[in-house]
Amino acid sequence: MKDINAKVLSSDTLAEGLIRIILHAPEIACEAKAGQFIHMLVPDCGHVLRRPISLMAMDAAAGTLTLAIQPKGRGTQLICNLKEGDVVKCLGPLGTGFDGKDANTIYFVGGGVGVAPICGAMDAFATESSCAFFGFRTKAHAYGMTQAPCRVVAVSDDGSIGEKALVTKPLLAAIEEKRPDLIMACGPTPMLAAVQKIANEMGIPCQLSLEERMGCAIGACLGCNVKINLPDGSWTYKRVCKDGPVFTSEEVAFGG
Amino acid sequence: MADLSLNLCGVQMKNPIIAASGTFGFGREYDELYDISALGGISVKGLCLGGRMGNPPSRLTETPSGMLNCVGLQNPGIESFIENDLPWLLEKDVAVIANFFGTSIENYCQAAEAFANTGVHMLEMNISCPNVHDGGVAFGVKPESVYEITKAVKQHSKQPLIVKLTPNVSDITENALAAQEAGADAISLINTLTGIAVDVHKRRMILANNTGGLSGPAVRPVALRMVWQCAKKVSIPIIGLGGIETGEDAAAFMLCGAQAVQVGTANFTDPFACPRIARELGEYCDAQKIANPQEIVGTLKSY
Ligand SMILES: Cc1cc2nc3c(=O)[nH]c(=O)nc-3n(C[C@H](O)[C@H](O)[C@H](O)COP(=O)(O)O)c2cc1C
Repeated sequence: MKDINAKVLSSDTLAEGLIRIILHAPEIACEAKAGQFIHMLVPDCGHVLRRPISLMAMDAAAGTLTLAIQPKGRGTQLICNLKEGDVVKCLGPLGTGFDGKDANTIYFVGGGVGVAPICGAMDAFATESSCAFFGFRTKAHAYGMTQAPCRVVAVSDDGSIGEKALVTKPLLAAIEEKRPDLIMACGPTPMLAAVQKIANEMGIPCQLSLEERMGCAIGACLGCNVKINLPDGSWTYKRVCKDGPVFTSEEVAFGG
Repeated sequence: MADLSLNLCGVQMKNPIIAASGTFGFGREYDELYDISALGGISVKGLCLGGRMGNPPSRLTETPSGMLNCVGLQNPGIESFIENDLPWLLEKDVAVIANFFGTSIENYCQAAEAFANTGVHMLEMNISCPNVHDGGVAFGVKPESVYEITKAVKQHSKQPLIVKLTPNVSDITENALAAQEAGADAISLINTLTGIAVDVHKRRMILANNTGGLSGPAVRPVALRMVWQCAKKVSIPIIGLGGIETGEDAAAFMLCGAQAVQVGTANFTDPFACPRIARELGEYCDAQKIANPQEIVGTLKSY
């Protein structure tokens, strides 16, 4: 974990409403794992909270990090306005990350901006029998499919790319055909909750990457805590920044 | 280089920069970034007997030049802190300030007493947290109740007792005086200002607790004004906080009458904020030809 001045190597439009930024951040890239994130300072004074941004790709040799950022609010908008040559403070790598070492067949599930960390997970863990299921609003919002290391099935809200369906539809069909050893998912909460239900009911190990607004992002302030089930049936609050952002589907208690 | 050291209520500190409660945990996470012995002190996350779960998410949101939080005093309990975290913290060369709260006057007294046989250097009694419903700020609003709880807890305190005041009152100087009269060794101010944030698209509150506490540079002018007012009324030491981001901000609080300062939200913007602020305060002193910043405490010139 280091707090560095990262240089913007490029910034372009990845898909509708999504900016791709490539950073030169060798001190972070050399340690980073799929599913981890960086805490980016908004390049303008008056923004006291940094923004947690997932890693879409990391290249230790080149010292680069690739990010996909949705300009949702004023802070992310300012980050998306960064241009080649600009410098931005980044703390990272942070969080636990995905773990797919022991799995032969992994089904990756991503929705919207959540496809980005799934791309990182695919680069790290995809096998020949693995498959990814991506959900997008429309074809214009789609990304992350051209250089994928395994088969990708895309669906959309309007049918402009793939079937007009929720991502759980092709996921369920694939599970029926071949049960995976592991599912990894990142995306909007309703999607994660649906994937969680499938995984838990079928007893398939599953890792979900969560999103919360963060304060310190290193585990000190407890600002990003979410409800987590414990094996004994009780629950507790855990830190998305330090204990997560990746949790098992059994642990996560949505709606809490 | 200026000498930043001070003696605060009998506790020797290498500089007047203290990490503010709730923003710094028990110091372990920040110690992975730098040696926390660089600080004068650490006010640990607010503790109570038996611990507390805290509020459901979402617990924080950014606001203009500030943030709102409603963490709700989640903590593992005084017992767990003493056993699992304090021994580690005491090995660091830093003053350990135990920030604590309770649910009743007796519970506050028991909490203070729980630190009696520990190496904790000071106690900071939080009677000003806006994010919990049973206790906290309930004791910190009326001067009579500030007096009553301070008087009771002081009798159960082995270490110097700092009373942390809320700004959500009509006249904070009355509460500062009440704390002093009841035997407080120092006061710290300010805790957060109550606020809300609205999601107009969902037409809903953003924070799960509805209300939260405002902190960060947005509150700094209010905090400075309150420190300045209190300094004119009380003779016990004042620890100033609220939106401090730089060494010059720290100097401003000291000019207003604070002997020491705490840094909270700035740790989120810059994880190295505390040691940087200590260094910058030294640079300010050098530029101003001040041997020790204690010289300027309360020397602000008014118009
Ligand atoms: C996330 C967060 C948690 C806090 N928790 C506590 C706490 O447990 N006890 C306490 O006395 N104050 C707590 N505070 C208040 C701070 O210690 C401080 O009084 C306030 O944030 C103003 O300082 P700042 O503007 O430098 O942050 C908390 C503040 C924040 C932002």
